[in-house]
Amino acid sequence: MPRCTYACNTADHSVSRRSFLGTTALGTTAALGAGGFASGMANAELAKAQKRVLVIFLSGGVSQLETWDPKPNTDTGGPFKAISTSVPGTHFSELLPHTAKQAHRLAIVRSLNSVSDDHGIGAKIMLTGRKPEAGVEYPHIGAVSAKLLGRGSTAALPGHIQILPKGGGGFGNADSTFLGPKFASVSLGDGKPPADLLRPKDLSPESDAAREDFRRKLNDRFAKSRKSAATDAYSESYEQAERVVKQSDVFDIEKENPKVADRYGRHDLGRHFLLARRLLEAGVTYVKVSHSNYDTHHENFDFHIEQLGEFDSPFAALLDDLADRGMLDTTLVVVMSEMGRTPRINDRYGRDHWSKAWSVALAGCGIKGGAVVGKTNANGTAVADREIYSGHLFHTYLRAVGIDSTKNFYPNDRPIPYADPKTAAINEILA
Amino acid sequence: MPLCFLLAALVAVGDARNPLPARIDTLIVAGHPDFAKLAAPAADDAEFVRRAYLDFTGTIPTVTQVTAFLTDSSPNKRATLINSLIDSPGYVRRMTWFLDVTLMERLADVKVPRAAWEAYLQAAIAENRPYDALVREILSNDGADPKTRPAAKFFLDRELEPHLVTRDISRIFLGRNLTCAQCHDHPVIDDYKQSEYYGIQAFVNRSFLFPNAKAPTAIIAEKAEGDVTFVSVFDKAKKQFTITPKMLGAKALPEEKPEKGKEYKVAPAANVRPIPAFSRRALLAGALTAPENTAFARTAVNRIWAMMLGRGLVDAVDWDHSSNPPSHPELLELLTDEFVSHNYDVKWLVRQIAHTQTYQRSSEVPSQLKDIPADRYLVANLKPLTPEQLAFAVAQACGQPSGTGAVGPFRSMFSARPGEPQDAFSSTLDQTLFLKYGATVRGMLASRTAALAKLTDPDAVAEELFLSVLSRRPTPDEKKDIADALKSATDRNATLTGLTWALIASAEFRFNH
Repeated sequence: MPRCTYACNTADHSVSRRSFLGTTALGTTAALGAGGFASGMANAELAKAQKRVLVIFLSGGVSQLETWDPKPNTDTGGPFKAISTSVPGTHFSELLPHTAKQAHRLAIVRSLNSVSDDHGIGAKIMLTGRKPEAGVEYPHIGAVSAKLLGRGSTAALPGHIQILPKGGGGFGNADSTFLGPKFASVSLGDGKPPADLLRPKDLSPESDAAREDFRRKLNDRFAKSRKSAATDAYSESYEQAERVVKQSDVFDIEKENPKVADRYGRHDLGRHFLLARRLLEAGVTYVKVSHSNYDTHHENFDFHIEQLGEFDSPFAALLDDLADRGMLDTTLVVVMSEMGRTPRINDRYGRDHWSKAWSVALAGCGIKGGAVVGKTNANGTAVADREIYSGHLFHTYLRAVGIDSTKNFYPNDRPIPYADPKTAAINEILA
Repeated sequence: MPLCFLLAALVAVGDARNPLPARIDTLIVAGHPDFAKLAAPAADDAEFVRRAYLDFTGTIPTVTQVTAFLTDSSPNKRATLINSLIDSPGYVRRMTWFLDVTLMERLADVKVPRAAWEAYLQAAIAENRPYDALVREILSNDGADPKTRPAAKFFLDRELEPHLVTRDISRIFLGRNLTCAQCHDHPVIDDYKQSEYYGIQAFVNRSFLFPNAKAPTAIIAEKAEGDVTFVSVFDKAKKQFTITPKMLGAKALPEEKPEKGKEYKVAPAANVRPIPAFSRRALLAGALTAPENTAFARTAVNRIWAMMLGRGLVDAVDWDHSSNPPSHPELLELLTDEFVSHNYDVKWLVRQIAHTQTYQRSSEVPSQLKDIPADRYLVANLKPLTPEQLAFAVAQACGQPSGTGAVGPFRSMFSARPGEPQDAFSSTLDQTLFLKYGATVRGMLASRTAALAKLTDPDAVAEELFLSVLSRRPTPDEKKDIADALKSATDRNATLTGLTWALIASAEFRFNH
């Protein structure tokens, strides 16, 4: 009995609660073997071919004028110069000197209208590729990526991870909506590993193995007369946990070559970018790194010097590192925000919320490096050419990683398009 | 009752003069053509004693309680145990958890503190307040009197958000998830109409939180005007309907229309809570709990049945409609009628169900049974322990005096998302890591290790371990496992801790079986 087949989507019962790697993901231990992901040639090959997505979210609303669409010497341009980049004719703000050298890897969209000047709604629009609608909650790009690109039950690690600037980590986020809790994000506050991932010091590996063996034995006996999907899921969840525990080094950037770590920088964002790369390399489908905070109603220019000073060099190092490892061809990188900032400079030298004409940058898998699409007018107050909505971007992300973005999900047998059917992919920036 | 109905009932349930448990069993047996051949036998004593303690006190029995029951040779010992547990303080604790989760579904305690709410429920359960009376209190209290304010939690903690309140009144009290009917008549379920949804909403559409929804001390106020109108999103003509308060399937309630100028007892003004001359919300409690609104008692009975049997007669418990019929329609009707005629006595109903063979059946699947239809009750369903049961059971297994301290961490780890029902069992990575390596469980294991360390004989260790954690005696194989483990142990305490952990992490422990 489908619970509700049209125009409403509460998903109240259609998915069991937050079963991250829950029942449906359980039931196979074999494919990776006990060594987990990195253990064999076949897996390495698999990892190479696997498409991944990295979203860098400049939280609070980054200024397009201080990044991808500078307007020097205009009433809105602010004090910074535009500098040339590795792509002739394309200029970035001088606050991005290292990133400018990566311009040949980047595609810039300069004509985005994301419709809402509200932080929460804006973030939702950018991450779901839709305007909020009554009666349906759309899944975030992270959940969509994990669902469509993930390796399902053979994956040892979660498919959808977000690295937050600070605070606690956690499971059970609501960002997967009807796709189900298996694809909801796992948050790593300040890049710290999930709680209780590491074996406590007073538990020796031998004792741990012995008690696991006895637990399995007890479960096998119990299952002789009381086997059910629920007991299987419970038993299997310990096998799943063991696979993740075996990979716990992935979460530990101290295990990284110090020279590489230095290139990223030892400050928070550098560490978080490095962690993101480690996770992607280990087979995590989607990672989002948030950098906070760009909400510069006051002193926009000073704050952007600081914020982009943290961002610029690690971001360039990240692109180089992904390229060096042969991962950039299979990893889509997106630098976005929940909105841009007003061209008008307010009386506190700030810029306010602005969704009408701003920019995002893309790189990597499926993206035509060096491309620029869309234009704003001379002082950036309006889109002059090729207005883009978040739906266009959502189609583009999916197409870039090889997915037909016009297909549907079918929660409760109701067709829901992957991406907003009123929009289409931006072909100019697709490789 | 008309004669033809009476005769039909007699045929259906056997002799109506039989005690209710026997009539329940008769209807369950009639629910499968080969019931007698296929059904599991009665649970053995150990299975029964663990189940009864978990269901009626919220935790597993102590070693003393298990052995007392196992060695009791009285033929009525099960009935005696049921009655004593249902009359014990543990029953109040268990039913407080049940009613709290049923009514509040893990929503944040934004207006009424948890302690005050639990105290309110405990008092109601301890005096076995009739369920209809309890719900009338909950739906009519405005939160203004500090002494009775906890009763208003249902509305206050939902901040009287009209759609949330409408959804939850219909789901929690009427067994119908009308959410789909917010925007249009349900496309595939004939009985879920948009007019039913807004008929419920009309009871509360004039109510609001005063002075504002965000104030922690807000109380419920009401205006004298305001209509509920709706348009179907399917209707191209956008025809607008206006609706006044009405219960599901019933006629709209008559509304008083005060004279102009007399709409308010207390007129709205700055910083004044208005009180209308005629209150729509005041109609709700009576209309919802009226005997003719059978959905109310039917939903309560179904939810209590689901708590005890691991599955509602209507499944899911908020999905009652004509194309999702009950597994045993006559049984649900019988229980509903009896519940009403016993004055909505929850404890009585729990006791009646507990005394059935259906409740006391084993969860071990007989070898002749291949595919188990979960809705036939041939075998007892496995019930995952609730977060609270799990906290108390782990504490009890480790020999700690109370599980109260562990409830917080277990709740935050194992509860459903706020506002969502605790649905099908799932086991998530964070939950498993919490049990596997988390400090909460590790801290609790120490007391069991200390007790076991005093025992030298491996068989005595095995007895104590299995009785305290799994509420049963070990099998010969298990005794051998324990003896082998202890023989090869280099660090005896670490081995004892590991053995205890393995039992606690086993599927046998995780489920009420």
